[in-house]
Amino acid sequence: MANLNIDSVKARTYDAIVIGSGISGGWAAKELTEKGLKTLVLERGRDVKHNRDYPTTNKMPYEFEHRGEVPLEIREKEPVVSRCYAFREDAMHFFVKDSEHPYVQEKPFDWIRGYQVGGKSLLWARQTQRWSELDFEGPARDGFVVDWPIRYKDLAPWYSYVEKFAGISGNRDGLAELPDGDFLPPYPLNSVEDYFRQQLKSHYGNRHVISARCAHLSKPNQIHFDQGRAQCQNRTLCQRGCPFGGYFSSNSSTLPWAERTGNLTLRPFSVVESVIYDDKAGKATGVRVVDANTKEVTEYYAKIIFVNASALHTNHILLNSISSRFPNGLGNDSGLLGKYVAFHNYRARVTAEYDGLLEYATAGRNPSDGGYIPRFRNLHKQETDFLRGYAAGFGARRYQVEDRSGFGVDLKEQLLNPTWSNWKVGSHMMGETIPKEESQVSLDKDQKDAWGMPLLRINIGYDDNDEKMVADYLEQMTEMFTKAGFTNIKTVDSKQAPGLDIHEMGGVRMGHDPKTSLLNKYNQLHACKNVFVTDGACMTSTSTQNPSLTYMALTARAVDHAVSEMKKGNL
Amino acid sequence: MDRRSAVKGLLIFAGGVAVLPSCVLEEGKASIPLEHLDVSAQQEELLAEVVETILPATDTPGARDMGLHLFTLTMLDDCYSREDQQTFMSGMAAFAELTKEQTGKRFTKCSPEQRQQVMAGVNAGQAPQEVLTFYNILKGETIKGYLNSELVMTTLRVYELVPGRYEAYYPVTAEAQIS
Repeated sequence: MANLNIDSVKARTYDAIVIGSGISGGWAAKELTEKGLKTLVLERGRDVKHNRDYPTTNKMPYEFEHRGEVPLEIREKEPVVSRCYAFREDAMHFFVKDSEHPYVQEKPFDWIRGYQVGGKSLLWARQTQRWSELDFEGPARDGFVVDWPIRYKDLAPWYSYVEKFAGISGNRDGLAELPDGDFLPPYPLNSVEDYFRQQLKSHYGNRHVISARCAHLSKPNQIHFDQGRAQCQNRTLCQRGCPFGGYFSSNSSTLPWAERTGNLTLRPFSVVESVIYDDKAGKATGVRVVDANTKEVTEYYAKIIFVNASALHTNHILLNSISSRFPNGLGNDSGLLGKYVAFHNYRARVTAEYDGLLEYATAGRNPSDGGYIPRFRNLHKQETDFLRGYAAGFGARRYQVEDRSGFGVDLKEQLLNPTWSNWKVGSHMMGETIPKEESQVSLDKDQKDAWGMPLLRINIGYDDNDEKMVADYLEQMTEMFTKAGFTNIKTVDSKQAPGLDIHEMGGVRMGHDPKTSLLNKYNQLHACKNVFVTDGACMTSTSTQNPSLTYMALTARAVDHAVSEMKKGNL
Repeated sequence: MDRRSAVKGLLIFAGGVAVLPSCVLEEGKASIPLEHLDVSAQQEELLAEVVETILPATDTPGARDMGLHLFTLTMLDDCYSREDQQTFMSGMAAFAELTKEQTGKRFTKCSPEQRQQVMAGVNAGQAPQEVLTFYNILKGETIKGYLNSELVMTTLRVYELVPGRYEAYYPVTAEAQIS
C-alpha cells in the first residue's frame, strides 16, 4: 500500500506545472518542454485539438440556422457574454456561458472567458504591438502605482523571439512610441486609410496611421511551416479556429510544438483549486485539482509552477491558496494581491463618411482590420488634464449595397446587382486606465461554485481620468475627421462596463519591492520564488497596446530565467 | 423535454431550413417545429405566397421554393422578442383582412395582378402600423435569407472564401459586384 502511494505520487510528479493553456500558458508549455522539462499543463475546460475540434470552421453562412445570429433565449440567459462582439452563432461554443460560471459583480463588469484548451487565444482579435520605453517608464514618470522593474531593453530580445515564432505581420514604421519588430509583410492600408495617414501627417506631424500589426501569417517562414501552419487566406473567420493555422493560437502553434518534444502532458477538465505551499520546504510543491466532471480532488507536484489561468483567475487561484505561512493568499505578504486591477477603456467610437477617392474600393478581406493610431497624448511630457492617453483603431470601407425599397422582380434584380456605397470610416479608442487600490477582486465568503471554489467578487470601475479621456478622444477624433474632410461625423460613448475590452490586467503586479508588489522582475512571487505569473495578472500598468504580445514575451523570458535558476539549484 | 426538442431529432434539412417528415406534423399546423409561434398551415400558405410576391421565381427560383417564409418563421421564433412575435401575428391577420377589404378575396386566391396591387400599397407604407411591422419583418428576413442562401452565394453573388485576397486599392469599374 505504502509503495503504491509512493508510485502514485511519482506518477503525479513533473518538473513543471502550467496552469492554463491560453496565450501565455501555451508559451510557458512550449518553452518549458523545449528546455527538456517534463511539463503538466492543466486546463479547466475541454480539449480542443487544432482542426479536429473546430466544428464550424468550414461552414458557409447558410449552414448556420440563424445565419450567425444568437437566439434570444441564449441572449437572455447569458447577458454578459452576449455583449461580446465575437459571441455569434459560429463561435458560441468557445465562450463561457454566464449561467454556468457565476461571479459577483460589486460594480458592473463583463467578464468574458474561454474555458477550453487554447483559451481565448482561439478568439482573440490578434492585434499585436510592442510596448515602448515610454510605456515601461510611465508609472515612474507620471507618479502612479509603482515603477516597473523592467524596461524596454529587458523585453526587446524576447519580443523578437516570440514574434519570429508566432508570425506577426507589420510595417517597420520607425516610431519611438511603438517599436518595430521582427515582422512578416504588412497588410497594406487602403486608399482612404492612406489618405487619412497623409492628412494627419500634414495637419499634426506627430500623429500616425500605420498598418495594424497582427498575428497573421501574411507570408509564412520555414518556422511556421514547421509548426504545420500555412499562409493566412484572409477568410476573417478566425474566431472559429483556423484550418490553415493562419493566425496564432495556442492550438495551432505552441501546444502542438510542445507536444512534439515528448515532454508535454496535457490534462483538460482540471479545475485548479489552489497552489500547495510547503511551510517546511519554504516553497510551493504542487497544485490541487478538482476534476471538472467527477469533482474528484487530485494533487500534482512539480519544482516550478507557472500560473497562467487568465488575469482574474490567476488572482482567484492565488487568493484561494491559503497556508499557515500565507493566510491571505500565496505570496501575499504585502496585502496587495487582487488589488490595482485595471483594464482598457474601449468606450468611445467615432464614425463618418467620405465622398472622395471613389475611384477605389477594396476587394477581399483585411485580417489586420486596417489602420492603427499609436498614442499621441502626453507622450513625452504631460500636456492635458488627464494622465496618459489612448491609441485608436482606424478603418475605412466601402460596402456593396442593394436598393431594397421595391418588391417583386425589381427587388430581385436590385439584390443581384449591388452598387458601391461611399466610404464609411470608423475609429475606436483604446485608453490606458490607471490601476487603483480600490479596483480589486476578492473571494466571496459564503458562495461557492460547483467545484468548491469561492466565487470571485469583482469591484472594478471607471474614474475621472477615464471620463476625461473619453471626452478628449471624441473631441480629437472629431477634429481629425473634420480636417480630413469626412462628413456625417457621429460620436458614441457606449458606457460599456469594464471587462468587455477583454484586457483586464493586474492584481499580482510586478515591482522592485516586496512591500508594494507581488512579483519581481522575472515574474517570480517575491515570497515564493518557484511560482511564476506571466499572464495579465502580472501587469503593473496597462498602457494602450493590445497586451497579448507582451504576455508572450514576458512568459518566454520568465521560463528562461526559471530554468537557469533551476539548473543553478536555486529553485 | 418540450415538443420542439423531441422533434428536432427527426428533422430533415432541405434548402437550409428544417422540415419535418409529415408523419410527425400536427394536423393543420405549420410544417416546421415552432417553440413560441402558433402558425396554422393556412397561415404558412399565406406567408409562402407573400414572400413569393416579394421575391418571385424568374429564371432563378423564387422565395417560396427557397423556403424563405419558413426561414422567416424560424428567425421570428428563435431570435425575436415575444412582443415582436405578437405584433407579427396580429399584423399578419390585419394584412389578410386588408387584402379581403381591397379585393374581396383571400390573398392566396387573388390573381397575380391583385397581389401586386395589395403589395404595392403595403410596400409604400400605405397600411396600418401593425401591417407594416409584419411586412417589414417578413421582407427583411426574406432578403436576409435570400442573400445568405446557397443558391445566391454559390451561383449568383459568389461568396469568396479560399483562396482569399486583399486588394487595398481596388479600381472601381462599372461592375460593382465582386466577391
